[in-house]
Amino acid sequence: MSSMRDIKQRIANVSSTEQIIKAMDMIASTKLHKAKAQLEGVRPIYHEVKRIVEEIGSHHEFETHTFYEERQVKNSLYIILTSDRGFSGGYNANIIAKAMEHMKGKNEKILIVGSKGKEYFKKRNKNIIRKIVDIADAEVYYGSENIAKWAANLYRSGEVDEVFIAYTQFENVLSYTPYVDKLLPVVTNVTELDKSNRKYEQGIDRFIEHLIPLYLHMNLFRAFSESHTSEQAARMVSMDAAGKNASEMIEELTRMYNRRRQAAITQELSEIVGSANILNKGGTS
Amino acid sequence: MTQQLANKKINLKITTPRGVKFVEEADMIIMRCIDGDLGVLPGHAPVSTVLGDGTLRIYNGGIEKKLALFGGIAEIEDTRVNILTTIAQRPEEIDLERAELDRRQVEAKMLEESKESQADERLQVLLRRTLVRIEVSTHTENSEYSSDNYGE
Repeated sequence: MSSMRDIKQRIANVSSTEQIIKAMDMIASTKLHKAKAQLEGVRPIYHEVKRIVEEIGSHHEFETHTFYEERQVKNSLYIILTSDRGFSGGYNANIIAKAMEHMKGKNEKILIVGSKGKEYFKKRNKNIIRKIVDIADAEVYYGSENIAKWAANLYRSGEVDEVFIAYTQFENVLSYTPYVDKLLPVVTNVTELDKSNRKYEQGIDRFIEHLIPLYLHMNLFRAFSESHTSEQAARMVSMDAAGKNASEMIEELTRMYNRRRQAAITQELSEIVGSANILNKGGTS
Repeated sequence: MTQQLANKKINLKITTPRGVKFVEEADMIIMRCIDGDLGVLPGHAPVSTVLGDGTLRIYNGGIEKKLALFGGIAEIEDTRVNILTTIAQRPEEIDLERAELDRRQVEAKMLEESKESQADERLQVLLRRTLVRIEVSTHTENSEYSSDNYGE
């Protein structure tokens, strides 16, 4: 049985935790707002560039270009996007599980983003060839350009034969799905041939040389934005739930405290009344 | 130019990582590609091209507009021009003072380095970009472009 003072202490603890939770909730929702704006900005250009890239792939004569040709796969590069901080529900667990499942039977090389994923893959002795942690929001844009160049070079030099990206797609605040997409060689789902007879001003090879880096850059930047938005949304939702739990707990503890207080008062009262009665009886007899 | 074509306009759309930035009609546009300028009139054959660092000139109803574009891809088809680029700046978005400052710094750096070896490629890109910015930002939109080499 906890005493009244213990209960009071617990109420104080829980309410200070609640304040922290509320602050984190607020930070996450502001960040979510910003991340969403960035994501909505990058989605159109990503889809346009992707369409152009796929259109080129539908021409048979380009199937032999380095970025389009399927090679025999010896090594696969995985770019896995996780978060640096926790308190985001199942966000990291979901993307890691998805990536692990996809990696089965592959000779993997991993570029890990985010300290949560780094710890996980390090523990399991996975082949991490590059890690990026604590990246500032403002650096993401140029950072993704650098990574795009780096990945393209690895691919071109033959160190890896395919490149995958594992990210979490943001659908709405309550739903985000982990995906593993193939970046290189470019997948072309277009079955119908492009009949427009499009010409390429500087020649198709030069066009592809410029197009693919832009495509990778936009693809990575978009994947970062999707993941970042999902992370903030996940954090906001779990902080919301935690905040509700905290208020419920405070309510319950307060009720317990009041009941205990009432019991103490009643006991004291009955003691006083009882002793007064005895005294009174003694006086009249 | 046949009457039919003359009535046509180009629908220009510029998309950047910050969303669709610019949607407008135009009589003619001139863009800077990696190997020189390319002018587009309505009814152009389908062509895709790689853009370099330079000004995009948009002529519409006697007014010339300029935008700074740095790299990207342009897709041209009949009356549709679709530009995908990482940076597109309107004149009012360019900080002229900063561009001038950048230019002086880059030029100073280039002088310094050219004594030792050939100027850095990065510096040249920087210089080119600041020059484009200065050109675009000093352009006044309402100035009539000379009409003698373009339709009445």
